[in-house]
Amino acid sequence: MDKLLVSPSPHLHTKTSTKSLMRDVVIALLPAVVVSVLFYGWSELLVLGVSVASCVLLEYLITKYLLKGACTIGDWSAVITGVLLALNLPATTPWWVVFIGAVVAIGVAKMTFGGLGQNLFNPAIVGRVFLLISFPTYMTDWTKPQGFICNALADGYTGATPLGIAKEGGVAAVEGLDYMDMLFFNIGGSAGELSAIALLLGFAYLLIRRVIRPYITLSILATVAVFSGIFWAINPAEYTDPLFNLLTGGLLLGSIFMATDYVTSPMSNWGGVIFGVGIGLITMLIRYFGAYPEGVSFAILIMNSVVPLINKWCHTKKYGR
Amino acid sequence: MMKTFSIGGIHPSDSKISKDCKIEVLPVPSKVFISVAQHLGAPATPIVKAGDQVKVGQVIAEPAGFISAYVHSSVSGTVKSVGPRKDLAGNNMTHIEIDVEGDEWIEGVDLTDTLVTAIPEDNKAILDKIKMCGVVGLGGATFPAHVKLCPPPGKKADCLILNGAECEPYLTSDYRIMLERSKEIVVGAAIMKQVLGGCPAVIGIEENKPEAIKAMTAAVAELQSTAKGYEGISVMTLKKKYPQGGEKQLIDAVMGRQVKSMGLPIDVGAVVQNVATSLAVYEAVQKNIPLITNVMTITGDCLPMEKQHNYKFRIGMPLSYIAEVAGGVPAEAAKIISGGPMMGKAIANMDATTVKGSSSLLYLTAEQTVRGVESACIRCGKCAEACPMGLEPFLLQKYARNSMMDELEENAIQDCIECGCCLYSCPANIPLLDIIRLAKGDVIKIIRGRGQR
Repeated sequence: MDKLLVSPSPHLHTKTSTKSLMRDVVIALLPAVVVSVLFYGWSELLVLGVSVASCVLLEYLITKYLLKGACTIGDWSAVITGVLLALNLPATTPWWVVFIGAVVAIGVAKMTFGGLGQNLFNPAIVGRVFLLISFPTYMTDWTKPQGFICNALADGYTGATPLGIAKEGGVAAVEGLDYMDMLFFNIGGSAGELSAIALLLGFAYLLIRRVIRPYITLSILATVAVFSGIFWAINPAEYTDPLFNLLTGGLLLGSIFMATDYVTSPMSNWGGVIFGVGIGLITMLIRYFGAYPEGVSFAILIMNSVVPLINKWCHTKKYGR
Repeated sequence: MMKTFSIGGIHPSDSKISKDCKIEVLPVPSKVFISVAQHLGAPATPIVKAGDQVKVGQVIAEPAGFISAYVHSSVSGTVKSVGPRKDLAGNNMTHIEIDVEGDEWIEGVDLTDTLVTAIPEDNKAILDKIKMCGVVGLGGATFPAHVKLCPPPGKKADCLILNGAECEPYLTSDYRIMLERSKEIVVGAAIMKQVLGGCPAVIGIEENKPEAIKAMTAAVAELQSTAKGYEGISVMTLKKKYPQGGEKQLIDAVMGRQVKSMGLPIDVGAVVQNVATSLAVYEAVQKNIPLITNVMTITGDCLPMEKQHNYKFRIGMPLSYIAEVAGGVPAEAAKIISGGPMMGKAIANMDATTVKGSSSLLYLTAEQTVRGVESACIRCGKCAEACPMGLEPFLLQKYARNSMMDELEENAIQDCIECGCCLYSCPANIPLLDIIRLAKGDVIKIIRGRGQR
């Protein structure tokens, strides 16, 4: 003890780090990843691999050669963007389309704003929406590729997603769909939309590990349920029911993993509720009245843009004030 | 439902390694250096000079203002010098150096173990004794005790809260006195509650100290059945959460009331005193013993069990001497803390000496205490979730880095209690409290300046 360390208090520090938090999100995504690979096979593995590898590589190259700053790939946030982007795409997406999505997500949406903590919009969603607008054919090709486990969807199934079917043919067209199938592994759509149970498992993990708070996710789901419940109660022949809306499309993936992104969501709990209600409303307006069958991505992006305003007006409850 | 404070808080591991170590009395060294700044407020004025003979308990420095306190000699012997010496942070402060000769006490002090339960009737005499015996708050702030026990005109105490939370990890001195001096603490509480006009007294203890809860509950019951003046004293079990022992948090937990910004506890009818202060009040009022001793914990994960101690020390003992008696400083120790690991001070100078409020020598290893490299804020909001004052540290640090004083004040930086929850919780290792502490000082200066105009 020749030299004593001296610093201001506190002298202890939590073991939770940016890296451990991000790694927990990746762990929470694993059930959805496993299910998607089991049912969509090699082509899904390729999408995941290309997406994660290009996100991490791009961030490395940009920090090293363009920003010439500290390399940040060790914080795992690029891995999350990679996994989320992959889960937001059909398993049949060609590798080069996936790569372009990664360039937009990491290169444009994340690094041009200054990297982790600075970006206004969720990088994975920006990547997905860019691809949806630029390559609509690839992005709505729901051909079911050969999986490692066969599910009830016939091989070579080329139908649309349940939301797509409902948009085209109205409520009558989706009457035959079984909600238990949706809850487990049996709906058409992006890889990450396959199983509600797998996503909810991830949600439980995130809550138990205290990675996220539940307010944003729950307020999105509650808003969707109430909004669709009202319309459905008024006219069940015209509008799909609440459970259908909760279980289909990217709602669970978006509300659990993307709306809760620290960087692009409000800081306070009340802010999170406002943010969530906004996302739920916009999602349902697009689903019921918009041109697209699904609106979660657009809803999150639109609400991302008002987060600074929400933060300005929603503050924590202060002691004695 | 167990009570706790309503906003924020964290749950660090409590690490009470030394909780089963009985209080041992430290032998008196050959020389002591007694600081004249052992309390919040103006440093006391020395009234002895080199060559003077002093006895144990004799006043050697007098208060130099309303918020100040008497300082007494903790040993008998000859004053060697009165002059500057470095305190534990390395700052110069006047110390009185005394060469120890024997252990001769002043007249009128009762050094027996007999418990005196009869409470004197004259409140003014009680307050005088508390003041003359130099009693200060021993929970950390060392605020002169008699000042807190005299509510300003027009304000009345609704509840005396005895702080037995000891929410800081590692520290066990309050725990030990609650086990070993339970009845004395309760007598102290009864004295203070009488002075405050007979309001109820609540002893708040966290759930992780069941033996202390049992001992204190038994002591209260026994005194209530055998002596007069002990009605209205009770023990309250609190949920474990840091910083429960923070004055504002404890008031919220026990009374469900919140002190207004820049206000005092008495504004909501609360008076908070630490259990160790209560013991000091007992010794002053019932035994005429001035505050020259206290209990400190010697602990740390890198210390073997046999070197963990709870010591009764006298003020003025060099820390290096205490460390030596306790078995030496462990080689793994990278940082030594006086106080708890959340709010304590890192010791820069082991030649510094004990003061009334000393509570520990805590050895932390480099692995435990070295901060990680700061990275970008990921806006997770964990600092705001942890802040027991409901502040938004992520916002305050941003304003502070840009010297935005108006925004800092609007966002209540002046309410920060420096508990360290924000910095503890930050996954990006941002030195939140370091930045906020500096800016808070500036903002408070601005607020005070405005008040004087």
